[in-house]
Amino acid sequence: MKQPIRIEDEAQFLDPKLVKISHNQFAELQAELPDGSVHAPVEPVRTFPLTQPDQYISLLDAQKNELGLIEDINQLERADRTLLAEELKKCYFMPKITRIYSLEGQFGVTQWEAETDSGSVFFDLRSRNDITSLSGGRVLIKDIDGNRYEIVNYHQLDPKSIALLETQI
Amino acid sequence: MHSGGFSRRDMHRMARSTGRRSNARRPDAEMTILEEVPAALQRQLESVLEEKEDIKIAISTDLQFDGSYGKDWVLATEKRLLAFNQNGVPAPEVQNIALEAIDEIEIRELYGNNFMKVRTSEGAVEVARYSKRLAPKFAEATPEIETLIDKVKPEDAEKSKRHRKFVDPGKKKIRCETCGRPIPRWSDVCPNCVEKGKLLVRLLKYAIPFWKVSVPALLIMLVIRLVGVYPPILSKNLVDDILVPATMAMTGGQPVDPGAFGQLLTIVFMMVGAHVFTAVFSAVRGYMMTWVGQRITLTLRNDAFQHMSVLSLDFYQQRETGNLMSRITQDVGRLRDFIAEGLQDIIGDSMALVYMCIIMFVINWQLALWVLLPIPLIVLFSFYFGHKMHKVFHVLWRRYAGISTILASTIPGIRVVKAFTREKYEVDRFEEQTHQVFEGEMNAAKLWTLYQPIMTFLTYIGTVLIWLVGGRQILNGELTLGEIMLFMTYMTQFLQPVRTLAQMNRRFLRAATSAERVFEILDTPPSVASRKDAVDLPNMRGQVEFRDVFFSYDNEKNAINGISFTTKPGEMIGLVGHSGAGKSTLINLVTRFYDPNEGDILIDGHDSRDIELRSLRGQIGVVLQEPFLFEGTVADNIGYGKPDATRQEIIAAAKAANAHDFIIKFPDGYDTTVGERGARVSGGERQRISIARAILKNPRILILDEATSSVDTETESRIQEALGRLIQGRTVFAIAHRLSTLKHANRLVVLKEGTIDEIGTHEELIAKGGTYANLCEKQTELSKIRAW
Repeated sequence: MKQPIRIEDEAQFLDPKLVKISHNQFAELQAELPDGSVHAPVEPVRTFPLTQPDQYISLLDAQKNELGLIEDINQLERADRTLLAEELKKCYFMPKITRIYSLEGQFGVTQWEAETDSGSVFFDLRSRNDITSLSGGRVLIKDIDGNRYEIVNYHQLDPKSIALLETQI
Repeated sequence: MHSGGFSRRDMHRMARSTGRRSNARRPDAEMTILEEVPAALQRQLESVLEEKEDIKIAISTDLQFDGSYGKDWVLATEKRLLAFNQNGVPAPEVQNIALEAIDEIEIRELYGNNFMKVRTSEGAVEVARYSKRLAPKFAEATPEIETLIDKVKPEDAEKSKRHRKFVDPGKKKIRCETCGRPIPRWSDVCPNCVEKGKLLVRLLKYAIPFWKVSVPALLIMLVIRLVGVYPPILSKNLVDDILVPATMAMTGGQPVDPGAFGQLLTIVFMMVGAHVFTAVFSAVRGYMMTWVGQRITLTLRNDAFQHMSVLSLDFYQQRETGNLMSRITQDVGRLRDFIAEGLQDIIGDSMALVYMCIIMFVINWQLALWVLLPIPLIVLFSFYFGHKMHKVFHVLWRRYAGISTILASTIPGIRVVKAFTREKYEVDRFEEQTHQVFEGEMNAAKLWTLYQPIMTFLTYIGTVLIWLVGGRQILNGELTLGEIMLFMTYMTQFLQPVRTLAQMNRRFLRAATSAERVFEILDTPPSVASRKDAVDLPNMRGQVEFRDVFFSYDNEKNAINGISFTTKPGEMIGLVGHSGAGKSTLINLVTRFYDPNEGDILIDGHDSRDIELRSLRGQIGVVLQEPFLFEGTVADNIGYGKPDATRQEIIAAAKAANAHDFIIKFPDGYDTTVGERGARVSGGERQRISIARAILKNPRILILDEATSSVDTETESRIQEALGRLIQGRTVFAIAHRLSTLKHANRLVVLKEGTIDEIGTHEELIAKGGTYANLCEKQTELSKIRAW
């Protein structure tokens, strides 16, 4: 007789204390798993990149097969956590817009000039559909080239930025 | 952070102050892979480079390694690769890698940014981080750097072959080639670079054949407008020549001129005449122009659809169906409005204004100037208001679209909604959306309610001015009562044409973009077309040879990555592989829905590009996973590939396809209408109709794309039987996930990431114990489970 499915057992998380993260000689992320196997290069993937960037990190091997899930990177040892967080920061580049200097355009195409936590930036959108409005005033933007930007809570921007943004969302 | 030179923002400021901002950011200017190296970097280079060492490649990034925006550099000479990273303070950190040491250059494509990484035998370093905007530049530079490496490491030349990139001319543009601005997603043409004048000329060409109607219509319009300004003059005469003298006479105690009533009657008749004339000829003109407009629509629409049917699949692949449909329906309609109505309106309204101005200036130029005074205000206001209104309505329109979206997902999904008892969730979602519509409507209402009083007020200013200035002139004896009445009337008649003309700009722009969208269809050459010297191949034997074929849909990833094999005539080839392995792509190439980027496909020894398309496709039959039935009868659908098929042939084909039995059970038999997408016929039945269609066409090459995957086992065996008969004596390419479907196949081609992993007969591949054997084993296990 097979055991009935217990849904909480289905997602197998790696024991955070037994996962060792390092770099190999090719500057690739290397992971030692609880079973003692060592894998490189390892690609960390956020399973909830927008809502839970630090939780449920999937580790993929070179063939994109999942090696395992890390429930929360904060459960890792400090050194491992730092390395993993650094790699994630590289893999997911989404500057946060803090101010919109100008936003102009017509025919649905808009040119934006904005300040982000990575410096000021120009970018173009091809249509309003590239702006996603989430709850809590969160706004996600994907530009013409595929770059991503985020506004954490647009209600907290300065009035001019809000006025500019509200013409688009 | 910005240790060296200007920050990015400073540069933006400078670019802005020195002229048009777009110049500074024109992407094609950035696309060279030998950029000018700044002086500071040049000096540093001198200390690194040897004599006679030239910089071959110099590309800058737009990101630094810490994730802030900034410029780093990657340079390559014939000896080394250099990376300058601003993160080293005060001087940039320099990485100096000898080309001989480089094993591989890797591009890591990540979320929102990319990395360029250099791998040597000892280790690896990241040399550049850049945003997606620069991805094309780095993609172009990478093979160039590899070429430099190949020169110092000739033994590795083979290796870099897999990095080749194709430039596909059919690739959809995202930025305008002329001005560098983004092209709106719905448009495909740059609205900024649309040459409006040229477009207008081209549009008018469609009107020219109908000049015998449209020119008289225009003349009628000019006359109507002229007559239209006449009644106020009549009123003026009535007042000044008859009524006022009569009143004066009476107040002076003298008898009224006895002929006055006759004059009054004449004028009244003339007024009635003018109105009747205008009404009759407006109706005639309206009918004439509708005819012209509809004729233009007819021609344009048919031209566009005719050309669209010629265009290759990639054209359809790159565009949304809705987008293309709206071009044929809405855009063409908009053009009709513009040619038939817009242009004549503009001419007519301008003329009416000119007529009125002339009359007013002749009668009293000072008062005319006063009357015209509020006009610019009215124009400005209409213009501004139109703009605002457009914005508000656009938002509102989007919110209404949101309602449709919710309805479109919940109505067909109502079973799921109910099964998971999510009615309340859906209702809440709907209510939120309707609430937004409510708010949008109220915003629009706010504007409208403002508009009316302001417009009235602006007009009223004109009236008041006439009373004030004209009244004073009357007191001074410079103006008559009839004249002041004429001005009053003209003041009101002025408004409508002025408003129309104020909106003209947008009307014109819209028409221009619509025209461009329609003309884009007409101007796109099919990427797959018969060559001029293409030959007919009437009796194809069905030998297909792939010769080192490469193909990419998006020119980023190769869907077919070097495939070579030959089929014998009459051979059945089973294509096996994971989804995305390139099975369907291979078939798309055989049918010439696409042409390979590199390599050749030969049919009976002829390059497929040299064969007349009609002749080629006329001998290829296709049975797809989701067979597409057109609106029409069952018989129409079976005979689709052979329009001259007799009833007898259709029945024979249906019998061969095991379709006859169920068709005659329909009350209407072969005359049963199958709805759009064949909704009234089940999946297996549809499949058998499409097999009958293929049988009737009697193709030399047959393509079965997952023909049996969407039906139950019982139906599958019937279809299998039908297929077994169909494949006799033809070259067959069959894709199937269920390997049992491929039991008739002479050979199996196992594809993996666009290349041939294994090729051979079922027995050979099983004996080999590779991918195929593995797959077979799994499926056998699966079928056991199913049997159990």
